[in-house]
Amino acid sequence: MKQYIGRRVGYSLLSLFLLSLTIFFFVRVTGDPAALLVEPGASPADIAAIHHQFGLDRPLWVQYGIFMASLFHGDLGQSFYYRMPVMGLYLSRLPNSLLLAVVAMGLSLLIGIPSGILAAVRVGRFWDSVGKLFALLGLSLPSFWVGLVLILVFSVYLGWLPSSGAGTPLHLIMPAFALGWYFAAAHMRLTRSSMLEVLGSEYVKLARIKGLPQSLVIAKHAFKNALIPVLTLAGINLVIMVNVAVVVETVFAWPGIGRLLYEGIAFRDFPVVQGVVIMGGAMIVTVNLLIDILYAVIDPRIRLER
Amino acid sequence: MGSFVAHRREFGRDQSRPELTRRELLAVSALGLIAGVPGLAHAAGPENRLTWGIHVSLAPTWFDPAETPGIITPFMILYAVHDALVKPMPGQPLAPCLAESFTAAEDGRSYEFVLRQGVKFHNGDPVIAEDVKFSFERYRGASHSLMQDRVAAIETPDPQHIRFNLKAPWPDFLTFYATATGAGWIVPKKYVEKVGDEGFKKSPIGAGPYKFVSFTPGVELVFEAFDQYWRKTPSVKQLIFKVVPEESTRLAALKDGEVDIVYSIRGELAEELRSTPGLTLKPVNPPAPFWLYFADQWDPKSPWHDERVRRAANLAIDRKTINEALTLGFSKLTNSLIPASFEFYWQPPPAVFDQAKARQLLAEAGYAGGFDAGDYYCDSSYSNVGEAVLNNLQEVGIRSQLRPIERAAFLKGWGDKAYNNLIQCGSGAFGNAATRLGAFIVKGGTYVYGSYPDIDALAPQQAAELDHKRRAAILEKMQQLVHEKSVVAPIWQLAFINGAGPRVGESGFGLITDFAYTAPYEDITIKAA
Repeated sequence: MKQYIGRRVGYSLLSLFLLSLTIFFFVRVTGDPAALLVEPGASPADIAAIHHQFGLDRPLWVQYGIFMASLFHGDLGQSFYYRMPVMGLYLSRLPNSLLLAVVAMGLSLLIGIPSGILAAVRVGRFWDSVGKLFALLGLSLPSFWVGLVLILVFSVYLGWLPSSGAGTPLHLIMPAFALGWYFAAAHMRLTRSSMLEVLGSEYVKLARIKGLPQSLVIAKHAFKNALIPVLTLAGINLVIMVNVAVVVETVFAWPGIGRLLYEGIAFRDFPVVQGVVIMGGAMIVTVNLLIDILYAVIDPRIRLER
Repeated sequence: MGSFVAHRREFGRDQSRPELTRRELLAVSALGLIAGVPGLAHAAGPENRLTWGIHVSLAPTWFDPAETPGIITPFMILYAVHDALVKPMPGQPLAPCLAESFTAAEDGRSYEFVLRQGVKFHNGDPVIAEDVKFSFERYRGASHSLMQDRVAAIETPDPQHIRFNLKAPWPDFLTFYATATGAGWIVPKKYVEKVGDEGFKKSPIGAGPYKFVSFTPGVELVFEAFDQYWRKTPSVKQLIFKVVPEESTRLAALKDGEVDIVYSIRGELAEELRSTPGLTLKPVNPPAPFWLYFADQWDPKSPWHDERVRRAANLAIDRKTINEALTLGFSKLTNSLIPASFEFYWQPPPAVFDQAKARQLLAEAGYAGGFDAGDYYCDSSYSNVGEAVLNNLQEVGIRSQLRPIERAAFLKGWGDKAYNNLIQCGSGAFGNAATRLGAFIVKGGTYVYGSYPDIDALAPQQAAELDHKRRAAILEKMQQLVHEKSVVAPIWQLAFINGAGPRVGESGFGLITDFAYTAPYEDITIKAA
């Protein structure tokens, strides 16, 4: 077991190292941040001064070395744009992203699971078609479009909700819905297929033969088992939600890490982009590592196989 | 309208913590209270508060004039918190502010400023000559090395007088010190020394019309009126700058009354703003001309080497229609790559749209059937302008392909002289006609792909000329030559379109020539209820 965990930790660290290399070099291909901090026509001396100030006049491998050395000390560097420590910026935005992700996940489960069960129980009938249509729309409509439609309806026409910003529960409703909409469709599809699989299993057939009422079969026997893959997916999706809400956070001016990443990319703020990507990567790698370890604890065959 | 007003009040109440209802408090608690509540700082009532929807993220470096980069955006903040010795104000490009007067020595080697009596920083400290000297010496923003190299010494004979001694006469000293950089904006020496540079950015103190209250990075910035401001007591008690990066969301926020003023609303959204009752379109023209640059004109094998071909391209562009379509007719058709308000500007004859004449010129140049002009490079943010110009060129037979490139990469390629054929250029840099010509036309300029000896020869002459009239004449001659040779095809001086809501009295847009944002803040008003 120790060997297995050691190997998984090693793979995780290697993944993070490769991620750091990739993001460090790729973000530098996208352009010169100095070009965005001056107007065309600025003197070469001004541009050189900016390069020097940001350490961009040093060789790339030196810059990478400094970045990695700082990273080991928990320092993600200084933002070019904000001139503040990236870690501080990240931590100040993380609670907002977590809040948005938790509420969006709650909404997506609240919508996705019941509609998935309904579609499975009424398979091939009207509610199944409605569920399929919902899943199709949820997975195909881009979140920025959903966001703008929500703003148009609930802020501009009805005047019920604030269009942007944060600070009150009202501010949270539309971004959470726009973000949760896609995941609700995904959860609906998984719940439906999982329920169909369970409903076709032998023990459910037995329960029906025993004469148990349909509601009891669904609620007590089928639903609990069908829920396992949905909740597993929801756990992973929650981490993904925290890290991929770039579009939704930008449309609603929600001050989360998605918007921080957007700002970092827009201003070629290399330390911010690197920091957000590394932290997001670390989060996902850690969750995967924990899942791997849990699987190994639950099922000894896994640790023996690898 | 009734529900609209009720809705406004609702949001004003939500933003003020003490007025949260028990239900809302419970809801916040239920959500774990893990999101920040930036509305805590809002002390003034909504009736005496104006809220802006800002298009860019606000950076703390903008709170410190010493770090002002070469872009106009930080001045949005500087005009609120800080003040300068001399700065552009309504009707005056160089208005005495913290200085009540200033004089230049006849030999052009020194400039003397006399400080206004009784002016105070927000912490009550008086503004004195030492603060001015300190502010200049700690300045490290745009053109820092240029100014440091040219200023020999700063004398402060008494608390009210400052003299800048130059190493050699420099006619552009005031252009750089008072308009193009943050070097002339004054910070309190004692306070900065006490809190340090980082502390100053966290809690800036200035001598401007508004005091800093709070800043939540990426979210909002709050200012409160400074009632001892020397020019006048600001009329609006509190200003809130909210960052709303998405253009459609900004417009929605203006429509539903969450914000009172929005920046940067373009194209169809601007049209929608114009047609919405209660909202007012507020276009301004910052010093940002756009032009088409014929990068290959110095290559004898290129069609662009022939001046008739360049003139044909100029005649082919339907600027008026493009302006109507993309900026609702608000961009200025100046026919120059120099902003119209810049010192030493020469107004060329108006641009002519004559595609028949353009075809005739092309035929005379040996391109009766047109020609393949290769790529048309542009910043992707303005590819809509590029498409329109390219279509016009196509109509006379100049066939080209649009190559929109993301802004940072485009600017790098342009500066590195990596492009050929056609480049759609634009600049909002500060300065005067001399600085613009130096960067874009005269040999050695950052964006100069080639140059003309007669224009180059005039550049050092104007730089050494101390007599204003003679210098103006040289610079006008240079601009005439640029026009006659069709070195570029000017497109327009871009309009920056903004909007104001029904509560706004004086918005501050357009009061200061060339300034893109709302200022002076002390002049902004709210309509009486």
